[in-house]
Amino acid sequence: MGFRPRYGRVWGIALLSVAFISLLTGCDTSSSEKQVDSLQLDAFSDPSGLLKAEDVHLRLDLLERLEGERPNLGLSSEALWVRVSGWQGAPRQARIILDNPTVDSIDAVVMDGARVLEFYRSGAAYGKVEDLIPTFNLPLNQNHQLWFRVRSTKPLVLPFSLTRIDRVETMRETRDLALALYTGIVLAILIYNSFLAFSTGQRAYFSYTFVVLTVGLVQWCFNGYDRLIWGDIPWMSQNGLSIMGALSGLAALMFAREFLEVRRYTPRWNRLIQGLLLIYGCALLAAVCNRPIIAYNLVNLGALSAPAMLVLSLVSWRKGNSSALWFFVAWLIFLVAVTMQALRDFGVLASTPVTALFLPLGTVFEMLLLSFALGDRINLLKRSSDAANAKALAASLENERIVKEQNAALEGRVQQRTEALAKANGELSGALDELQGAQDQLIQTEKLASLGQMTAGIAHELNNPINYVQSNATSLHRDIEELIEIVDGYAAAIAAMESGSSGAETLVQEAADRARKLDLNFLKQESRQLVAGILEGADRTTKIVGGLRVFGRMDGDKPVQASLRELLESSITVLGDRARSKAKIEVNFAKDLPLLWCQSGKLSQVFMNIIVNAVQATEARWDDPKERQVSVSLELNDRGSDGEAMLVRIEDNGTGMDEETRQRVFDPFYTTKDVGKGTGLGLSIVKGILDDHGAIVEVESALAKGTTFLVMFPVGSNVKPGTSPNELKS
Amino acid sequence: MTEEIIRVLYLDDEEPNLFSFKAAFRRDFEIHTCQEPHEAVRMLDDQEFHVVLSDQRMPRISGVEFFELIMPDHPDVSRVLVTGYADTDAVVDAINKGQVYRFVSKPWNEEELRSVIKSAYDLNRSRVSNAQEGQQVLSALDGFMEEVDRLKREWAVGGSDALSTVGTGLDDLRLKMANERLRYGQWVLQQNERKQQ
Repeated sequence: MGFRPRYGRVWGIALLSVAFISLLTGCDTSSSEKQVDSLQLDAFSDPSGLLKAEDVHLRLDLLERLEGERPNLGLSSEALWVRVSGWQGAPRQARIILDNPTVDSIDAVVMDGARVLEFYRSGAAYGKVEDLIPTFNLPLNQNHQLWFRVRSTKPLVLPFSLTRIDRVETMRETRDLALALYTGIVLAILIYNSFLAFSTGQRAYFSYTFVVLTVGLVQWCFNGYDRLIWGDIPWMSQNGLSIMGALSGLAALMFAREFLEVRRYTPRWNRLIQGLLLIYGCALLAAVCNRPIIAYNLVNLGALSAPAMLVLSLVSWRKGNSSALWFFVAWLIFLVAVTMQALRDFGVLASTPVTALFLPLGTVFEMLLLSFALGDRINLLKRSSDAANAKALAASLENERIVKEQNAALEGRVQQRTEALAKANGELSGALDELQGAQDQLIQTEKLASLGQMTAGIAHELNNPINYVQSNATSLHRDIEELIEIVDGYAAAIAAMESGSSGAETLVQEAADRARKLDLNFLKQESRQLVAGILEGADRTTKIVGGLRVFGRMDGDKPVQASLRELLESSITVLGDRARSKAKIEVNFAKDLPLLWCQSGKLSQVFMNIIVNAVQATEARWDDPKERQVSVSLELNDRGSDGEAMLVRIEDNGTGMDEETRQRVFDPFYTTKDVGKGTGLGLSIVKGILDDHGAIVEVESALAKGTTFLVMFPVGSNVKPGTSPNELKS
Repeated sequence: MTEEIIRVLYLDDEEPNLFSFKAAFRRDFEIHTCQEPHEAVRMLDDQEFHVVLSDQRMPRISGVEFFELIMPDHPDVSRVLVTGYADTDAVVDAINKGQVYRFVSKPWNEEELRSVIKSAYDLNRSRVSNAQEGQQVLSALDGFMEEVDRLKREWAVGGSDALSTVGTGLDDLRLKMANERLRYGQWVLQQNERKQQ
């Protein structure tokens, strides 16, 4: 995976090198015919710049010979007078040209001794396109002298030459074509990379397009074409190149900072870059302040950034920034091109069209290489993001697989759970059926329990009177025997007295003795009391049995008309001293109340249940039975629009209940008693029975105060259960 | 002993029962009746009773509870529970704990109740006599120990006639012990005979 980009880069560099070399060789062959003759140049400088043409002949002693085809006089603000000779004998079509478009001004003066014959002006300051190659006619008289006054804020290179006029046109066209081509390339790169910049949003691309733009403009300025843009503004002609150079330097440095990720790979170098940026900034400032020479020098100083970037890119590459190699190559080419240009300017290299191509070609290749570098970098980013994507995809696929597996497992578990639920459901239904059965059984048990309670009460209640009736009868029998014995004694004595028998007095004495011995008076009193006891016992038995009648149909559902009062009384009787012995039961029953259609046995069960609960509640609260109070009352209650109702109130001063217990008091199986002591069904059965009777039951209770059960039987709506009111009336 | 009048106390909250009881048994026993438990306690403190009967179901206190109450002060008195309804659990419990000698249900059978009272009286007598006998034996043993101590002291004082005095004393003591043993043996025999009856 790691080999492909490396191969790609090698291929790219190889291709570029081949193209570069072939271009150079191509140029070399095309410029093989030499068409420019060399002229002889003599010059002197005019520091004041005020010397007039008429006075030039006075300074001939200052003249110095300029050697070489491209004499380089360096930077100078001084005006330079150049005497050109060697043109004599040239054909009529020949012209003198200065192949330097950056010269600010060049004035040609034809003189005859001290007399000025002709005067021409040209140069960048005058903003003419034709002046890209200032061209001058030869003087008509071969004895006349041809002088040039030259001023430039750029390095003063004076490649004067004698060229045929048609050749000048060809040169111009070639120049235009070259720059057009160059501009086309730059524009293509610019547009393409602008598009990339906006589509990728990478900052490096934006700074790169800035680099391309400024480098392109520098080339325009360098070739004097900038006057096409801003015309003949002198300030721009003097400073344009510096401004563009400074801007391109800034752009290049900023791009390098972005591209090489200086802060990440080589943070120390950031200082250097900042310093270089400062230099370019100063250059810009100088240019703005119209100090063209200072500006140009500063820009030249800023050119140090080229080798600096070269080293920096290598360092960055060593530190693992693989894209830095592209940058290194690009800057190497640029540096080589700039060096070539410099060497050409200083005459080390021959000034041929080929060498003139070095700089533009260098910049083009630099731009292209940088563009490739950016592409490579984007690719790298894309690859790493692809790798990340692939990783994410793999992860999400893995996740999907896991989710699928989990789903399958989950489905299995859901299936299991469903089956388990179905099974549990079945078991629950079974349990519910069993519970229903158990509940029925419990209700039956509760019935039996109340029956048992009742039986105990009744047995005790009955056994006591029966006991003393029976015992009294036995005692009475004995008393009567004794009384009869006494009576018999007296009877015998009386009979003897009547018959005049001699033993009569003895018999009387014996009878009196017997009566005294048996204590006749006591016997009379006792027998009377015994009879009274028997009568009382019989009466009590009758009452109890009478009260029991209502229980005769304990489980019968047949409704009867009954008196609530009697029901309550018999309930209390039947509970007997089982209840009465444990608490004081007060009763207060209103008389002459209407009869109630009811299932008397069940209602008695209800009252007994509530009363027993009340007694138990008082038992739980008070140790002293005297404190335990239960009151049972019955009254007719006027309920206003609801009509009259018979109200049974069973009140106790027992433990009472908290609110939760009070609310749940009728719930089946709810009990506050210990396990095994109560089924929790008593009051729920009570509620059921009362509901069947259309009765309303309310419970009031407070802890440590007591509980009151209120049972209301509406009088008007009371009908025989299971019959309609009409049937009742009939 | 059988000549002694049997003193019976009957506690019941219902007066007719008390009256019936008295009428039924006044010819056989000395009957005392009472409606209130605290009254009954006072009566027990005032004079000796041989048998106490109590109703089980009373307003403030059950018969068993009443018996528990009097047991510490009157352990010898025979306790008979009378009840109108077989409150089985309470009764079984009471009998097992030894608080109750017999249990009689209402309505009572007069003859049965009479014999119950008599046997309860016998139990009381036997308990009392056991206690008395035990007391007698204990005091005899105390006397013997005192005698031994006295002889030891005489022996320690010494003297020419010590040997003869102690010897006579020992003979005397042996005779007393033999008599006591004979008496106790006869009492045990008597008790066994009574049990066999």
